Amino acid sequence: MPCEDTSALSNGMVVLCEGLFQQNNSSISFIDFNNGAVDNSFFANRVGRQLGDTGNDMQKYGGKIYVVVNISSTIEVLDASTFTSIEQISMINGGTSKQPRSLYFHNGNVYVTCYDGFVDVIDTTSLNVIQRIAVGTNPEGLTVSGNKLYVSNSGGLNAPVMDSTVSVIDLTTHQEIQKITVGLNPGPMITDQAGDVYVIARGNYSSIPSRMVRIDATTDQVAEQFSFDASGVTHFNNKFLVSYYDYSTSQNTVGLFDPANEVMENPSFMGLADVTTLYNVQYNVGRDQIFVSDAMNFTNTGYVRVYSNAGVYSHSYHVGLNPSKMVFYD
Amino acid sequence: MLISCSSYGQLDSIQLIPEVDILDTRNSLFWSLRDWDYISTEKIQELQPLDAADIIQKFAGTSIKSYGGLGGLKTVSVHGLGTNHSAIVVDGQSLVNSQSGQVNLGQLSGDNLTSVETSSGRQKLHTIPVSAQIAGNSIVLNTFENSFSKSGFQLRSSFKYGSYNHQSAYVGLKYTNANWLFSGMGTFRRADGNYDYSVQNGFQTLEGKRHNNDFLNYSFGGTIGRQGERTRFRAGYRQSETDQGLPGAVLLYNQTQNERLRTGNKTAFADFYYRNDPWIIRAYANGRHNNVRYADPDYLNAAGELIVDYLNRSISGGVVVQFYPMWDKLHFYGGVEQVVSDLHVSDTTFALPVRFHNYGILGVEYFVKKFILKAHISEQYVSERNNNGVNAQDRFRINPYASIEYDDDRKWKHMLWYRNSFRMPSFNELYYNNIGNNNLVPEDAHQLNYGLVLTAYNRTKFNARLRSNVYINFIENKIIAIPTKNLFVWSMQNIGKARVYGFETMLNLEAKFNKGWKMSIDANYSYQRSLDYTGKDSPTYKHQIAYIPLHTANFDVSVYYKKTGLRISNYFTSLRYSLNENVEQNEVEAFLITDLSIFHRFVVKEKHAISVQFLVKNVFDQSYAYIRSFVMPGRNYLISLSYAFN
Repeated sequence: MPCEDTSALSNGMVVLCEGLFQQNNSSISFIDFNNGAVDNSFFANRVGRQLGDTGNDMQKYGGKIYVVVNISSTIEVLDASTFTSIEQISMINGGTSKQPRSLYFHNGNVYVTCYDGFVDVIDTTSLNVIQRIAVGTNPEGLTVSGNKLYVSNSGGLNAPVMDSTVSVIDLTTHQEIQKITVGLNPGPMITDQAGDVYVIARGNYSSIPSRMVRIDATTDQVAEQFSFDASGVTHFNNKFLVSYYDYSTSQNTVGLFDPANEVMENPSFMGLADVTTLYNVQYNVGRDQIFVSDAMNFTNTGYVRVYSNAGVYSHSYHVGLNPSKMVFYD
Repeated sequence: MLISCSSYGQLDSIQLIPEVDILDTRNSLFWSLRDWDYISTEKIQELQPLDAADIIQKFAGTSIKSYGGLGGLKTVSVHGLGTNHSAIVVDGQSLVNSQSGQVNLGQLSGDNLTSVETSSGRQKLHTIPVSAQIAGNSIVLNTFENSFSKSGFQLRSSFKYGSYNHQSAYVGLKYTNANWLFSGMGTFRRADGNYDYSVQNGFQTLEGKRHNNDFLNYSFGGTIGRQGERTRFRAGYRQSETDQGLPGAVLLYNQTQNERLRTGNKTAFADFYYRNDPWIIRAYANGRHNNVRYADPDYLNAAGELIVDYLNRSISGGVVVQFYPMWDKLHFYGGVEQVVSDLHVSDTTFALPVRFHNYGILGVEYFVKKFILKAHISEQYVSERNNNGVNAQDRFRINPYASIEYDDDRKWKHMLWYRNSFRMPSFNELYYNNIGNNNLVPEDAHQLNYGLVLTAYNRTKFNARLRSNVYINFIENKIIAIPTKNLFVWSMQNIGKARVYGFETMLNLEAKFNKGWKMSIDANYSYQRSLDYTGKDSPTYKHQIAYIPLHTANFDVSVYYKKTGLRISNYFTSLRYSLNENVEQNEVEAFLITDLSIFHRFVVKEKHAISVQFLVKNVFDQSYAYIRSFVMPGRNYLISLSYAFN
């Protein structure tokens, strides 16, 4: 019997904990800011079943929360207020998993990168896949600038010959119009207020470093490659927080980047002494706090660590295995 | 029980003994064997094992990891040491797999096994290969086709049919006379493996059918042997070909696995045994050719599929010598062995490693009054060449072993031993693309064990034997995988430490009653507190290590009336953790599985024996898993018909 608790959520946050491959142990935790209580079986308790294998993305759009579960190849659509299931969309195509990865919302559609080389367009009202847009190999991140969708083609499963391109898609025709070569193994993407698109080309994890690249969205040309290490990027008011975890030295850094002037203002903006393995960084405007997910050693349960807007550590919550994406309730 | 009572099992069981322990004539056969972990032909037949793992899990202190299905990956860990610390010896030859360092017990058929014995570190056998004598522990299997028997023709055959369209056939034929042995064998095994399962998914029960779990295997081979008054020579060939689906984990909401594995094993072997008091010499050699093709037709790379071929070859040769200058007082044993193995992978970015592994052992056994003092030192020198990149450094190690035993020749036997051993990192651990780390050093193990044997009764009609061990094992430089480049790219590191505090006890009872009734009980219980000691600051410090159960137990009862028997077999394992962190979400549930077997033997004239057996596995239809998300079959049936000619 599913739990009867369908009370509306407020003053808290949900955290997607990815779990580990082939363990069916992806989970979602709820942190109650009123009393600091953490429910690490929140998804199972509210929905009545497990989330599945390897959750990769979770975002809110309108009154719904969308969760991408990569290996189970599903998208869970939940009522954002009560966290009850609206629909589970199976992302299986002709007997093969599409392996969905990341979400981006635009004009009533959710665009989903699928590792089988497509971006699926899902109507957020009907929750049907209305189109599959062919892109490059193993597409990863996506972002929108103007009337164009930018998709990073990682080619991660084709290693060592990985992809180096970003596909540009016309949002009217839903057709790919161009591929831009940006650097090896492109991943996370973001757009600044001026419409410039940034992508992190993650290199080959050895001789080619992981670097952020700026695309001029008017010309769709690479404008600049920055010289600092980067593995993730997120909005922080009108600036970016650029994060990097160095797997060889176990060093974590979060720098403050100003996209208006294209400069790294402070490469060590946050004090991360309390973080073992930086896995995701998100800023919540309502609370004016920075939230860092700490994956520990990836096989132990992780933490969400809370920082002030000046990057000063405040406190932590103990959550599930490999915490990553977060959604906040005011 | 040790001296098997079955019509034809006896010959094969006893056959084994002179080869391995004829030298211990100081005691009667029974006494010398009472401290062994040994399963006879008769028990093997009652268990109707699908493979060697089904038998090995009957030994205390073993933990089987099974991914389910006929032919599916099954590995064993003994006393909390990793799988790679176990040497698997079949017919006196070590199985070598330098690629993974592990032997898939699921691919060793149980049909022609005549005995299985384990040594959890206290090594008694000095005619097995040096590499096995000095490993952390060893499991020794013997087959019908490779043993000299009484003169004349002998035939063994069995036909099985079971649930999930499991069909298997085995025929082994042997001719022995005073000088010669000729034998040949063939097996065929197949199954659809599409068993139903149910798993708990939150508040829901998920019903499903295992998909892509089919298995097809055939094998054949033969042995030629010649024996004289002081010598025994054998040479043989075995080949096995397998094609199987890899069902993977039961992934929630997604059952699209179509990966396949094709495996081919070819082995040629020879050994020569010479006895001329006070000397015993055995020379052995084998060559192995193991090819594996892994195919994922749904892999999302540019080619739209992934096919990788692996070829792992090895040549081994060695000599073991035993010398008895004073039969009642002093024994020496020693040996050398050389193994050369390599690996070729179709993926050109993989290394091309070749390993030269040299083993040596020198030991002494001294008998004084009721004590036996024993010690040996072993050496290993490992040298590697990688023709496609950096190779691992050469390694040289010396490892000691020492034991003291007290035997009152009647009831009690006490044994205290210490073994220091290591296992080499496998080729996969050293060289696998991205994952491999060619700076790995060997993983070290220290085992300290006290054992006790109590033979309460040893009479014709009733005998009882109780054995117990307490042990402490330390594992250092434990090789574990951690992410070093991103979450999807893990790499091998020598950063682990573990301690195992264990206790086990084994009870064997056998009683014969009047009017043809007989009963036996084989029970054991094992406690293994296997703790992660890697780092004091780690959240898993002193947590129970993943997949090592704290408690395991077997309780098997057989009742016989003349030629008919009934065996109830129970196997229990307590909860385990799928990761080292001992938290609720990592728990893998405990299970108790009961199998029931009914058998009847017909003796047609003197030489023909037919037996029929009906087996119900998992009688109570439990949903269980050894490995998280790898659900095992529910209640299933097997009928077996065997014919033997002696």
